[in-house]
Amino acid sequence: MKKLLSLLMAAMLLLSLAACGGQETDAGSIVIWHDKEDAVAEVLQNYLSEALPEYTITLEKKTSLTDSLKLVGNDPAGAPDMFIFAHDKIGLFAEMGILAPIEELLSEGELENYLPMTTEAATYKGTVYQLPLYFETLLFMYNSKYMTPEMVPETTEELYAYMEANTGRDRFGFVEQHSTAYYSAAWIHGFGGEIISADGTPFPDAQAVKDALEYHLKFVQLMPGETEYSTVNTLFLEGKADSTIGGPWMVPSAREAGIELGIAPMPVVDATGEPLAPYSGVQGVHVLTHAAESKGEAVRAVLEALTAPEVGVELALASGCAPARAECYDDEAVANDELVQSMRTTAEIAIPMPNLPEMDVMWTVMSNLLTDVNLSGRGVDESFDEAMAEAENLIANMK
Amino acid sequence: MKKRTKSVLVSYLVSGPSLLLIALIVVFPIAYTFFISLTNMSVYHWFDFTVIGLDNYWRALFVFDSGFLSALLATVLWTAVNMLIQLAAAFLLASALNIKKLRLRKLYKTLLMFPWAMPGYVSILLWKTGVFNSEFGLLNQWMEALGREAVRWLSTDVSAFICCTVVNLWLALPFMIMIMDGALQSIDSSYFESAILDGAGWLKRTRYITIPSIKPIIAPAVIITVFTTFKQFDVVYLLTQQMGARTGSNFHTILTYAYENAFVTNNYGYSSAISIIIFALMLVFSIRFRLGGEGET
Repeated sequence: MKKLLSLLMAAMLLLSLAACGGQETDAGSIVIWHDKEDAVAEVLQNYLSEALPEYTITLEKKTSLTDSLKLVGNDPAGAPDMFIFAHDKIGLFAEMGILAPIEELLSEGELENYLPMTTEAATYKGTVYQLPLYFETLLFMYNSKYMTPEMVPETTEELYAYMEANTGRDRFGFVEQHSTAYYSAAWIHGFGGEIISADGTPFPDAQAVKDALEYHLKFVQLMPGETEYSTVNTLFLEGKADSTIGGPWMVPSAREAGIELGIAPMPVVDATGEPLAPYSGVQGVHVLTHAAESKGEAVRAVLEALTAPEVGVELALASGCAPARAECYDDEAVANDELVQSMRTTAEIAIPMPNLPEMDVMWTVMSNLLTDVNLSGRGVDESFDEAMAEAENLIANMK
Repeated sequence: MKKRTKSVLVSYLVSGPSLLLIALIVVFPIAYTFFISLTNMSVYHWFDFTVIGLDNYWRALFVFDSGFLSALLATVLWTAVNMLIQLAAAFLLASALNIKKLRLRKLYKTLLMFPWAMPGYVSILLWKTGVFNSEFGLLNQWMEALGREAVRWLSTDVSAFICCTVVNLWLALPFMIMIMDGALQSIDSSYFESAILDGAGWLKRTRYITIPSIKPIIAPAVIITVFTTFKQFDVVYLLTQQMGARTGSNFHTILTYAYENAFVTNNYGYSSAISIIIFALMLVFSIRFRLGGEGET
């Protein structure tokens, strides 16, 4: 009896779940998920509503966008039609099969108008999966009230000397999120190392990574123990830190806080002669497979609207991001914007984040390695060997 | 006989809706997780996954290495310490709330319930930045006022364990206090009156009247809390292990350990196998716990 009833119930459950699946789609409405600052979202929302009045386009902010996509990416009822995110998850989502190739949805040759770095970042296994909008990289920023332009360090040793002279109680010469993978990558690249190679090998040049970690340690000792975004950000904005390495997203709040903000090229590592080379992230629009199939027309219209150079110019002026479309730089206001220009210069040395699915676990591996070396005070060699084993294990377990 | 079948049918019919709800939110996810654990669902086989049998379980055993064992021990210690302090503190506070002639009783009760009303995520991060942060936190402001060096409270295993316990107590006490308060109020006051006439002091009254009377009432609450404490994730993860905001401590509960060693791989088949094994572990604990509990009462 009990068994029969539970079977019946299970059947009912399945039926009700199946009923949820068959939702109708409205071909005229497009939902775009994003996790961007309000300034960026506002520009895009206003522009799209004005440019395409015949469609209902909604930008929805999602804080854990990638996790949500993993759950509902293949379900038209729960998934958005498009999403705006950095290019580093392209491999993951492309392998999952939820991303539509973008080139077929654009007019021919459209992508040739973009900076080559941005389209390369958007390509995974020979297919382009993202329409780039803008890119960002970390910048060396300083508070010119304390660090005057002539005091700005050109090399890492000069930076260290400055830190030694200007760090004390409640005051720091330089702060950065020293134990976060995204930030530490700049130091690793400065020593010629990589977190993951293009073919998916973790730490291809072990010695370079070890050298970078070892050298970086003396800088860490002159920085606060807490390294999350809010602490570093607040120290700089309250004038307690003279300089920092941070993203363009810090600029509006720094200006609001009355910081006399200066931006300088990345310091050069004395030992290698190479500058600290941060990762760059290309932010752009991705189309989900189901939307490309069922709402092709609306998706094409939105993509076409977003290729207009005005979008890039407006974004650059509103939030200081560097447009991905080359002709945006012909605009006078953009050409004169110090922030945008320095980002473009830094982009020449910056390395696009790897977009391989394996990178997804390397963030965790790298973060553990940095925590061990910088915060728990464990030896570099021992920690590195552990991290290497963890990387190989996690990558093997992805399959 | 026919009558009996009818009454059984009616009772199923009446409890049907709630059984359905339980099936939907409890049984279905577990059954589905078990199904996924038998497949090769991963980034590379998102839609086209196939059943591969028990392979994932074989691989999952490698996660249960020495790191997992020490996390398991830490979790048991964590549960024991939290439960002990929680029960003692809740009992004392609830007793204090029940003192006769206590003024502003309602105000105290509201204040004590406050942590419960706040979303856990928010309160944990408030504790992290507001109290434990080495630059701006309250504790280090005090250290500075006392002329001491700033301390990184969350950086070592032991201090992180203590900080996590404090935050967990702050979050969990309201529930326990409420249950204890209700239990205390349900005791017939005539017991105490005759005990006082017999000359029993507070300690004796507590030992022979209060504790035996509230035991059956608080037992379910204690069991529930043991499990929520055992499978604690948010407090430990958000305070010390959050990506981009790690603090240097290596204190893991089994769930944070499993998260870092399996769930980040996006291999759902493999991660589900680990979830099912942890689920089985908890099931074993719960059966043992229930038998013990029933034997006592």
